Amino acid sequence: MLLIAGTIPIKDLPLTIGEITSEGEFLVINGYHIPCTQGTGAVISAALVTTSYLKLEAPHVVLAGDIGQGKGSREIYEYLIKKVAEISPEVLVLHYCLPEMSLTRRLCEAVGECNKKPLMVADAASMYAAKAAGLAREFDVFTPDATELAFLADPAATHPAYINRHLFDTDITQTSRLVVAAYQHRNIAKLLLVKGAIDYVVIDGDILATIAEPNIPELEAIGGTGDTITGLIAAFLYAGLEPREAAIIAARANRMAGRFAQATPATKVGQVIEQFPNVFREYLCGWTGVCYTEGGNYNG
Amino acid sequence: MAFLKRKQKASFEGGGLVLFQDVHDAMQTENVLKEAGYAVRLIAPPLELRKGCDLAVEINLVEQPGIERLLSQKDVAYISICPLKVGTSELLEIVKVTDFGNWIMVKAGNMKLTFDKESGVIVNTSGGGCPDIPYIHAKLIGKLLTEAPRPKNIGFTLCALMLDRALEECLTLWQGGE
Repeated sequence: MLLIAGTIPIKDLPLTIGEITSEGEFLVINGYHIPCTQGTGAVISAALVTTSYLKLEAPHVVLAGDIGQGKGSREIYEYLIKKVAEISPEVLVLHYCLPEMSLTRRLCEAVGECNKKPLMVADAASMYAAKAAGLAREFDVFTPDATELAFLADPAATHPAYINRHLFDTDITQTSRLVVAAYQHRNIAKLLLVKGAIDYVVIDGDILATIAEPNIPELEAIGGTGDTITGLIAAFLYAGLEPREAAIIAARANRMAGRFAQATPATKVGQVIEQFPNVFREYLCGWTGVCYTEGGNYNG
Repeated sequence: MAFLKRKQKASFEGGGLVLFQDVHDAMQTENVLKEAGYAVRLIAPPLELRKGCDLAVEINLVEQPGIERLLSQKDVAYISICPLKVGTSELLEIVKVTDFGNWIMVKAGNMKLTFDKESGVIVNTSGGGCPDIPYIHAKLIGKLLTEAPRPKNIGFTLCALMLDRALEECLTLWQGGE
Protein backbone atom coordinates (compact mmCIF):
# COMPACT_ATOMS: atom_id res chain seq x y z
CA MET A 1 0.00 0.00 0.00
CA LEU A 2 1.05 3.56 -0.75
CA LEU A 3 -0.16 5.61 2.23
CA ILE A 4 -0.17 9.43 2.10
CA ALA A 5 -0.85 11.41 5.27
CA GLY A 6 -1.40 15.14 5.51
CA THR A 7 -3.74 17.99 6.29
CA ILE A 8 -6.31 19.54 3.97
CA PRO A 9 -7.31 23.22 4.16
CA ILE A 10 -10.95 22.47 5.00
CA LYS A 11 -11.44 23.44 8.63
CA ASP A 12 -14.14 20.95 9.57
CA LEU A 13 -12.95 17.92 7.60
CA PRO A 14 -12.79 15.09 10.17
CA LEU A 15 -10.09 12.46 10.25
CA THR A 16 -10.71 10.63 6.98
CA ILE A 17 -9.10 7.36 5.98
CA GLY A 18 -9.39 5.27 2.84
CA GLU A 19 -8.60 4.80 -0.82
CA ILE A 20 -8.71 7.95 -2.92
CA THR A 21 -10.49 8.43 -6.23
CA SER A 22 -10.89 11.43 -8.49
CA GLU A 23 -13.92 13.16 -9.95
CA GLY A 24 -13.24 16.00 -12.37
CA GLU A 25 -11.02 18.53 -10.65
CA PHE A 26 -11.53 16.99 -7.22
CA LEU A 27 -10.19 14.12 -5.21
CA VAL A 28 -12.96 12.13 -3.56
CA ILE A 29 -12.92 10.09 -0.38
CA ASN A 30 -15.85 8.95 1.74
CA GLY A 31 -18.08 11.50 0.01
CA TYR A 32 -15.74 14.43 0.69
CA HIS A 33 -14.45 16.44 -2.25
CA ILE A 34 -10.87 17.59 -1.81
CA PRO A 35 -9.47 20.35 -4.05
CA CYS A 36 -6.38 19.53 -6.05
CA THR A 37 -4.40 22.56 -4.95
CA GLN A 38 -1.10 23.32 -3.25
CA GLY A 39 -0.30 20.94 -0.40
CA THR A 40 -1.40 17.41 0.33
CA GLY A 41 -4.03 17.62 -2.44
CA ALA A 42 -1.32 18.12 -5.06
CA VAL A 43 0.78 15.24 -3.67
CA ILE A 44 -2.17 12.86 -3.76
CA SER A 45 -3.26 13.99 -7.22
CA ALA A 46 0.19 13.45 -8.72
CA ALA A 47 0.49 10.05 -7.04
CA LEU A 48 -3.00 9.01 -8.16
CA VAL A 49 -2.40 10.00 -11.78
CA THR A 50 0.80 7.96 -11.72
CA THR A 51 -0.63 4.86 -10.08
CA SER A 52 -3.60 5.02 -12.48
CA TYR A 53 -1.26 5.18 -15.46
CA LEU A 54 0.78 2.25 -14.13
CA LYS A 55 -2.41 0.28 -13.31
CA LEU A 56 -1.47 0.07 -9.64
CA GLU A 57 -3.73 0.23 -6.60
CA ALA A 58 -4.70 3.84 -5.86
CA PRO A 59 -3.04 5.59 -2.92
CA HIS A 60 -4.64 5.26 0.50
CA VAL A 61 -4.77 8.44 2.53
CA VAL A 62 -5.03 9.70 6.08
CA LEU A 63 -6.41 13.24 5.95
CA ALA A 64 -7.81 15.78 8.37
CA GLY A 65 -8.88 19.39 8.08
CA ASP A 66 -6.42 21.90 9.52
CA ILE A 67 -5.94 25.57 8.69
CA GLY A 68 -2.99 26.01 10.98
CA GLN A 69 -4.32 25.44 14.48
CA GLY A 70 -2.87 21.96 14.71
CA LYS A 71 -5.88 19.87 15.75
CA GLY A 72 -6.15 17.96 12.47
CA SER A 73 -2.39 17.48 12.39
CA ARG A 74 -2.41 15.89 15.83
CA GLU A 75 -5.29 13.60 14.86
CA ILE A 76 -3.26 12.36 11.89
CA TYR A 77 -0.15 11.76 14.00
CA GLU A 78 -2.11 9.95 16.72
CA TYR A 79 -3.92 7.75 14.19
CA LEU A 80 -0.66 6.76 12.51
CA ILE A 81 1.09 6.12 15.84
CA LYS A 82 -1.74 3.77 16.78
CA LYS A 83 -2.28 2.07 13.43
CA VAL A 84 0.83 2.18 11.27
CA ALA A 85 2.20 -1.16 12.45
CA GLU A 86 -1.13 -2.82 11.68
CA ILE A 87 -1.36 -1.16 8.25
CA SER A 88 2.33 -1.69 7.44
CA PRO A 89 2.31 0.27 4.17
CA GLU A 90 5.07 -0.29 1.63
CA VAL A 91 5.51 3.46 1.14
CA LEU A 92 4.53 6.08 3.74
CA VAL A 93 4.41 9.76 2.76
CA LEU A 94 4.19 12.42 5.48
CA HIS A 95 3.27 15.83 4.19
CA TYR A 96 1.58 19.07 5.34
CA CYS A 97 1.18 18.85 9.12
CA LEU A 98 1.93 21.18 11.99
CA PRO A 99 5.49 20.08 12.80
CA GLU A 100 5.53 18.41 16.22
CA MET A 101 8.85 16.91 17.25
CA SER A 102 7.59 14.64 20.02
CA LEU A 103 4.77 13.21 17.88
CA THR A 104 7.21 12.63 15.03
CA ARG A 105 9.47 10.77 17.46
CA ARG A 106 6.58 8.57 18.61
CA LEU A 107 5.56 7.94 15.00
CA CYS A 108 9.06 6.82 14.06
CA GLU A 109 9.00 4.43 17.03
CA ALA A 110 5.64 3.07 15.86
CA VAL A 111 6.96 2.61 12.31
CA GLY A 112 9.67 0.44 13.81
CA GLU A 113 6.93 -2.01 14.80
CA CYS A 114 5.88 -2.62 11.16
CA ASN A 115 6.48 -6.12 9.77
CA LYS A 116 8.71 -4.54 7.16
CA LYS A 117 9.81 -0.95 7.54
CA PRO A 118 8.03 1.17 4.92
CA LEU A 119 9.92 3.46 2.59
CA MET A 120 9.50 6.77 4.40
CA VAL A 121 9.06 9.96 2.37
CA ALA A 122 8.77 13.38 4.03
CA ASP A 123 8.19 16.78 2.54
CA ALA A 124 6.82 20.11 3.77
CA ALA A 125 6.53 20.52 7.54
CA SER A 126 6.80 16.78 8.16
CA MET A 127 10.36 17.15 6.86
CA TYR A 128 10.89 20.16 9.16
CA ALA A 129 9.76 18.13 12.16
CA ALA A 130 11.93 15.14 11.25
CA LYS A 131 15.00 17.37 10.99
CA ALA A 132 14.22 19.41 14.11
CA ALA A 133 13.74 16.21 16.12
CA GLY A 134 17.04 14.76 14.86
CA LEU A 135 15.23 11.95 13.05
CA ALA A 136 16.18 12.69 9.45
CA ARG A 137 18.14 9.46 9.06
CA GLU A 138 14.98 7.47 9.81
CA PHE A 139 13.62 8.67 6.46
CA ASP A 140 14.37 7.37 2.97
CA VAL A 141 13.48 10.46 0.95
CA PHE A 142 13.32 14.22 1.60
CA THR A 143 12.34 16.63 -1.16
CA PRO A 144 13.59 20.09 -0.07
CA ASP A 145 13.89 23.21 -2.20
CA ALA A 146 17.00 25.40 -1.96
CA THR A 147 15.85 27.28 1.16
CA GLU A 148 14.80 24.07 2.85
CA LEU A 149 18.22 22.59 2.06
CA ALA A 150 19.77 25.59 3.81
CA PHE A 151 17.47 24.80 6.75
CA LEU A 152 18.72 21.20 6.80
CA ALA A 153 22.29 22.53 6.73
CA ASP A 154 21.69 24.81 9.72
CA PRO A 155 22.14 22.74 12.88
CA ALA A 156 20.28 25.21 15.10
CA ALA A 157 17.17 26.03 13.05
CA THR A 158 13.88 24.28 13.83
CA HIS A 159 12.04 26.06 10.98
CA PRO A 160 13.24 27.68 7.71
CA ALA A 161 12.16 31.10 9.04
CA TYR A 162 15.06 30.89 11.50
CA ILE A 163 17.87 29.80 9.20
CA ASN A 164 21.17 31.59 9.21
CA ARG A 165 21.08 34.52 6.79
CA HIS A 166 24.32 33.46 5.11
CA LEU A 167 22.82 30.06 4.33
CA PHE A 168 19.67 31.72 2.93
CA ASP A 169 21.90 33.87 0.70
CA THR A 170 23.74 30.84 -0.63
CA ASP A 171 23.48 30.56 -4.38
CA ILE A 172 22.05 27.39 -5.92
CA THR A 173 25.52 26.68 -7.34
CA GLN A 174 26.63 26.14 -3.74
CA THR A 175 24.24 23.24 -3.30
CA SER A 176 27.09 20.80 -2.82
CA ARG A 177 28.41 22.84 0.14
CA LEU A 178 24.98 22.83 1.79
CA VAL A 179 24.58 19.10 1.13
CA VAL A 180 27.89 18.39 2.86
CA ALA A 181 26.91 20.53 5.86
CA ALA A 182 23.48 18.93 6.15
CA TYR A 183 24.99 15.45 5.85
CA GLN A 184 27.64 16.16 8.48
CA HIS A 185 24.91 17.23 10.90
CA ARG A 186 22.96 14.04 10.04
CA ASN A 187 20.04 16.20 8.95
CA ILE A 188 19.21 14.56 5.64
CA ALA A 189 17.30 11.47 4.63
CA LYS A 190 19.05 8.65 2.79
CA LEU A 191 18.02 10.28 -0.49
CA LEU A 192 17.48 13.98 -1.12
CA LEU A 193 15.88 15.42 -4.20
CA VAL A 194 16.74 19.11 -4.03
CA LYS A 195 14.23 21.00 -6.18
CA GLY A 196 15.33 24.12 -8.01
CA ALA A 197 16.67 25.57 -11.25
CA ILE A 198 18.81 22.44 -11.23
CA ASP A 199 17.43 19.42 -9.38
CA TYR A 200 20.00 17.45 -7.39
CA VAL A 201 19.69 13.79 -6.45
CA VAL A 202 21.79 13.12 -3.36
CA ILE A 203 22.35 9.74 -1.75
CA ASP A 204 24.16 9.49 1.57
CA GLY A 205 25.66 12.93 1.10
CA ASP A 206 26.91 12.44 -2.47
CA ILE A 207 25.38 14.22 -5.47
CA LEU A 208 24.73 11.36 -7.89
CA ALA A 209 22.67 13.10 -10.55
CA THR A 210 21.47 16.50 -11.66
CA ILE A 211 18.45 17.32 -13.81
CA ALA A 212 18.35 20.70 -15.56
CA GLU A 213 16.22 20.12 -18.65
CA PRO A 214 13.78 21.19 -19.74
CA ASN A 215 14.45 24.43 -17.91
CA ILE A 216 11.08 25.83 -16.74
CA PRO A 217 11.89 28.53 -14.14
CA GLU A 218 8.20 29.46 -13.90
CA LEU A 219 7.52 26.23 -12.00
CA GLU A 220 9.06 27.74 -8.87
CA ALA A 221 6.26 30.29 -8.68
CA ILE A 222 3.45 27.75 -9.06
CA GLY A 223 2.11 26.59 -5.71
CA GLY A 224 2.15 22.80 -5.55
CA THR A 225 4.80 21.94 -8.14
CA GLY A 226 7.15 20.79 -5.39
CA ASP A 227 4.33 18.72 -3.92
CA THR A 228 3.79 17.00 -7.26
CA ILE A 229 7.42 15.84 -7.26
CA THR A 230 6.84 14.21 -3.88
CA GLY A 231 3.72 12.47 -5.18
CA LEU A 232 5.56 11.25 -8.27
CA ILE A 233 8.50 9.85 -6.29
CA ALA A 234 6.15 8.09 -3.90
CA ALA A 235 4.21 6.46 -6.73
CA PHE A 236 7.36 5.36 -8.54
CA LEU A 237 8.78 3.89 -5.32
CA TYR A 238 5.50 2.03 -4.87
CA ALA A 239 5.86 0.78 -8.46
CA GLY A 240 9.16 -0.78 -7.44
CA LEU A 241 11.70 1.62 -8.88
CA GLU A 242 14.92 2.16 -6.95
CA PRO A 243 14.90 5.47 -5.04
CA ARG A 244 17.55 7.04 -7.27
CA GLU A 245 15.65 6.19 -10.45
CA ALA A 246 12.34 7.25 -8.92
CA ALA A 247 13.81 10.65 -8.01
CA ILE A 248 15.36 11.26 -11.43
CA ILE A 249 12.19 10.33 -13.29
CA ALA A 250 10.02 12.39 -10.95
CA ALA A 251 12.17 15.47 -11.56
CA ARG A 252 12.17 14.94 -15.32
CA ALA A 253 8.43 14.28 -15.49
CA ASN A 254 7.61 17.37 -13.44
CA ARG A 255 9.70 19.62 -15.70
CA MET A 256 8.28 18.05 -18.83
CA ALA A 257 4.71 18.48 -17.55
CA GLY A 258 5.52 22.15 -16.99
CA ARG A 259 6.62 22.41 -20.60
CA PHE A 260 3.54 20.55 -21.87
CA ALA A 261 1.32 22.88 -19.81
CA GLN A 262 3.18 25.91 -21.23
CA ALA A 263 3.57 27.02 -17.67
CA THR A 264 3.64 30.68 -16.68
CA PRO A 265 3.85 31.98 -13.11
CA ALA A 266 0.03 32.23 -13.21
CA THR A 267 -0.50 28.56 -14.09
CA LYS A 268 -2.30 26.43 -11.50
CA VAL A 269 -0.84 23.14 -10.32
CA GLY A 270 -3.85 21.20 -11.62
CA GLN A 271 -2.91 22.24 -15.15
CA VAL A 272 0.54 20.71 -14.63
CA ILE A 273 -0.83 17.52 -13.09
CA GLU A 274 -3.22 16.90 -15.98
CA GLN A 275 -0.20 16.72 -18.29
CA PHE A 276 1.45 13.81 -16.46
CA PRO A 277 -0.30 11.05 -18.49
CA ASN A 278 0.84 12.74 -21.70
CA VAL A 279 4.40 12.96 -20.38
CA PHE A 280 4.35 9.30 -19.30
CA ARG A 281 2.95 8.21 -22.65
CA GLU A 282 5.71 9.97 -24.51
CA TYR A 283 8.73 9.52 -22.24
CA LEU A 284 8.33 6.97 -19.44
CA CYS A 285 9.18 3.96 -21.56
CA GLY A 286 12.39 5.57 -22.77
CA TRP A 287 13.35 6.79 -19.30
CA THR A 288 12.74 3.53 -17.45
CA GLY A 289 12.68 0.73 -20.00
CA VAL A 290 9.36 -0.24 -18.45
CA CYS A 291 6.72 0.38 -21.06
CA TYR A 292 2.98 0.59 -20.62
CA THR A 293 0.68 1.07 -23.57
CA GLU A 294 -2.90 2.25 -23.65
CA GLY A 295 -5.18 -0.23 -21.93
CA GLY A 296 -2.50 -1.36 -19.53
CA ASN A 297 -0.53 -3.71 -21.74
CA TYR A 298 2.98 -4.07 -20.50
CA ASN A 299 6.24 -4.45 -22.38
CA GLY A 300 9.10 -5.08 -19.98
CA MET B 1 5.97 -5.19 40.31
CA ALA B 2 3.00 -3.43 38.81
CA PHE B 3 3.53 -0.48 41.10
CA LEU B 4 6.74 0.25 39.19
CA LYS B 5 4.89 0.60 35.91
CA ARG B 6 3.92 4.17 35.27
CA LYS B 7 1.84 5.49 32.49
CA GLN B 8 4.21 7.07 30.01
CA LYS B 9 3.87 10.83 30.31
CA ALA B 10 3.24 12.52 26.99
CA SER B 11 6.38 14.45 26.15
CA PHE B 12 6.49 17.86 24.55
CA GLU B 13 9.33 19.37 22.54
CA GLY B 14 8.26 22.78 21.33
CA GLY B 15 11.52 24.48 20.49
CA GLY B 16 10.30 27.95 21.45
CA LEU B 17 10.11 30.06 24.62
CA VAL B 18 7.90 32.91 25.79
CA LEU B 19 9.86 35.00 28.30
CA PHE B 20 8.28 37.12 31.06
CA GLN B 21 9.07 39.86 33.52
CA ASP B 22 7.22 38.10 36.33
CA VAL B 23 5.96 34.65 37.25
CA HIS B 24 2.29 35.68 37.31
CA ASP B 25 2.39 36.56 33.60
CA ALA B 26 3.97 33.20 32.80
CA MET B 27 1.24 31.31 34.62
CA GLN B 28 -1.50 33.41 33.05
CA THR B 29 -0.01 32.75 29.60
CA GLU B 30 0.07 29.01 30.23
CA ASN B 31 -3.66 29.12 31.05
CA VAL B 32 -4.58 31.30 28.06
CA LEU B 33 -2.66 29.12 25.62
CA LYS B 34 -3.94 25.83 27.05
CA GLU B 35 -7.52 27.08 26.89
CA ALA B 36 -6.98 27.90 23.21
CA GLY B 37 -5.77 24.35 22.55
CA TYR B 38 -2.03 24.99 22.30
CA ALA B 39 0.41 22.40 23.65
CA VAL B 40 2.65 24.26 26.14
CA ARG B 41 4.53 23.72 29.39
CA LEU B 42 6.14 25.85 32.07
CA ILE B 43 9.92 25.53 32.23
CA ALA B 44 12.94 27.36 33.61
CA PRO B 45 14.64 29.15 30.69
CA PRO B 46 18.31 28.40 30.03
CA LEU B 47 20.58 31.02 31.65
CA GLU B 48 21.75 32.26 28.24
CA LEU B 49 18.19 33.17 27.26
CA ARG B 50 16.88 34.38 30.60
CA LYS B 51 15.35 37.85 30.73
CA GLY B 52 13.14 38.92 33.62
CA CYS B 53 11.85 36.07 35.81
CA ASP B 54 13.05 32.48 35.98
CA LEU B 55 9.87 30.94 34.59
CA ALA B 56 9.04 30.67 30.89
CA VAL B 57 6.43 28.96 28.75
CA GLU B 58 7.68 26.49 26.18
CA ILE B 59 5.69 26.64 22.94
CA ASN B 60 5.89 25.03 19.54
CA LEU B 61 8.02 27.71 17.87
CA VAL B 62 6.27 27.16 14.56
CA GLU B 63 3.09 28.52 16.16
CA GLN B 64 4.76 31.81 17.19
CA PRO B 65 2.59 34.16 15.03
CA GLY B 66 -0.72 32.69 16.21
CA ILE B 67 0.44 32.77 19.84
CA GLU B 68 1.65 36.37 19.58
CA ARG B 69 -1.72 37.37 18.15
CA LEU B 70 -3.65 35.56 20.91
CA LEU B 71 -1.55 37.03 23.73
CA SER B 72 -2.04 40.48 22.25
CA GLN B 73 -5.81 39.94 22.05
CA LYS B 74 -5.88 38.73 25.66
CA ASP B 75 -3.65 41.62 26.76
CA VAL B 76 -1.10 39.31 28.39
CA ALA B 77 2.32 40.84 29.04
CA TYR B 78 5.48 39.05 27.87
CA ILE B 79 8.99 40.15 27.02
CA SER B 80 9.70 38.19 23.87
CA ILE B 81 9.40 34.88 22.06
CA CYS B 82 12.61 33.17 21.01
CA PRO B 83 13.95 29.79 19.89
CA LEU B 84 14.88 27.50 22.76
CA LYS B 85 18.03 26.30 21.06
CA VAL B 86 20.93 28.60 21.91
CA GLY B 87 22.71 29.77 18.77
CA THR B 88 19.62 29.91 16.56
CA SER B 89 19.67 32.82 14.10
CA GLU B 90 17.24 35.73 14.15
CA LEU B 91 14.03 35.56 12.11
CA LEU B 92 14.87 36.07 8.44
CA GLU B 93 14.18 39.63 7.30
CA ILE B 94 15.65 39.63 3.80
CA VAL B 95 13.73 38.96 0.61
CA LYS B 96 14.70 38.03 -2.95
CA VAL B 97 12.92 39.31 -6.06
CA THR B 98 12.63 37.49 -9.41
CA ASP B 99 11.31 39.28 -12.50
CA PHE B 100 9.37 36.97 -14.84
CA GLY B 101 8.46 39.68 -17.35
CA ASN B 102 4.74 40.12 -16.78
CA TRP B 103 5.01 38.85 -13.22
CA ILE B 104 7.17 39.44 -10.17
CA MET B 105 7.93 36.76 -7.59
CA VAL B 106 9.10 37.74 -4.11
CA LYS B 107 10.70 35.14 -1.87
CA ALA B 108 10.87 35.53 1.91
CA GLY B 109 12.43 32.57 3.68
CA ASN B 110 10.76 29.45 2.38
CA MET B 111 7.72 31.31 0.96
CA LYS B 112 7.10 32.89 -2.43
CA LEU B 113 4.33 35.19 -3.68
CA THR B 114 3.87 36.16 -7.33
CA PHE B 115 1.76 38.98 -8.74
CA ASP B 116 0.83 40.37 -12.13
CA LYS B 117 2.81 43.57 -12.74
CA GLU B 118 0.03 45.26 -14.68
CA SER B 119 -3.01 44.44 -12.56
CA GLY B 120 -1.46 43.91 -9.13
CA VAL B 121 -3.38 40.63 -8.83
CA ILE B 122 -1.81 37.77 -6.87
CA VAL B 123 -1.47 34.84 -9.28
CA ASN B 124 0.34 32.30 -7.10
CA THR B 125 1.93 31.51 -3.77
CA SER B 126 4.34 28.65 -3.33
CA GLY B 127 6.70 27.04 -0.86
CA GLY B 128 6.23 26.32 2.81
CA GLY B 129 4.91 23.30 4.60
CA CYS B 130 2.67 24.32 7.50
CA PRO B 131 -1.06 23.52 7.37
CA ASP B 132 -2.24 27.12 7.11
CA ILE B 133 -0.35 27.65 3.84
CA PRO B 134 -2.75 25.84 1.46
CA TYR B 135 -5.60 27.70 3.21
CA ILE B 136 -3.92 31.09 2.76
CA HIS B 137 -3.03 30.16 -0.84
CA ALA B 138 -6.73 29.71 -1.58
CA LYS B 139 -7.57 33.01 0.13
CA LEU B 140 -4.96 35.06 -1.76
CA ILE B 141 -5.11 33.79 -5.35
CA GLY B 142 -6.95 36.19 -7.65
CA LYS B 143 -7.01 39.02 -5.11
CA LEU B 144 -5.49 42.46 -5.60
CA LEU B 145 -2.37 42.95 -3.49
CA THR B 146 -4.04 45.90 -1.81
CA GLU B 147 -7.20 43.96 -0.98
CA ALA B 148 -5.81 40.56 -0.04
CA PRO B 149 -6.05 39.43 3.59
CA ARG B 150 -2.70 39.56 5.38
CA PRO B 151 -1.26 36.08 6.02
CA LYS B 152 -0.13 37.18 9.48
CA ASN B 153 -3.77 37.91 10.32
CA ILE B 154 -5.36 34.72 8.99
CA GLY B 155 -2.44 32.31 9.48
CA PHE B 156 -0.94 30.78 12.60
CA THR B 157 2.59 29.66 11.74
CA LEU B 158 6.06 30.86 10.81
CA CYS B 159 5.37 29.92 7.18
CA ALA B 160 2.44 32.37 7.25
CA LEU B 161 4.71 35.03 8.75
CA MET B 162 7.24 34.56 5.94
CA LEU B 163 4.45 34.76 3.35
CA ASP B 164 3.30 37.99 4.97
CA ARG B 165 6.81 39.41 4.54
CA ALA B 166 6.69 38.46 0.86
CA LEU B 167 3.29 40.18 0.51
CA GLU B 168 4.61 43.28 2.24
CA GLU B 169 7.50 43.51 -0.22
CA CYS B 170 5.13 42.94 -3.15
CA LEU B 171 2.97 45.82 -1.90
CA THR B 172 6.03 48.06 -1.71
CA LEU B 173 7.05 47.14 -5.26
CA TRP B 174 3.49 47.53 -6.57
CA GLN B 175 3.07 50.91 -4.94
CA GLY B 176 6.31 52.09 -6.51
CA GLY B 177 8.52 51.98 -3.46
CA GLU B 178 12.18 51.15 -3.39
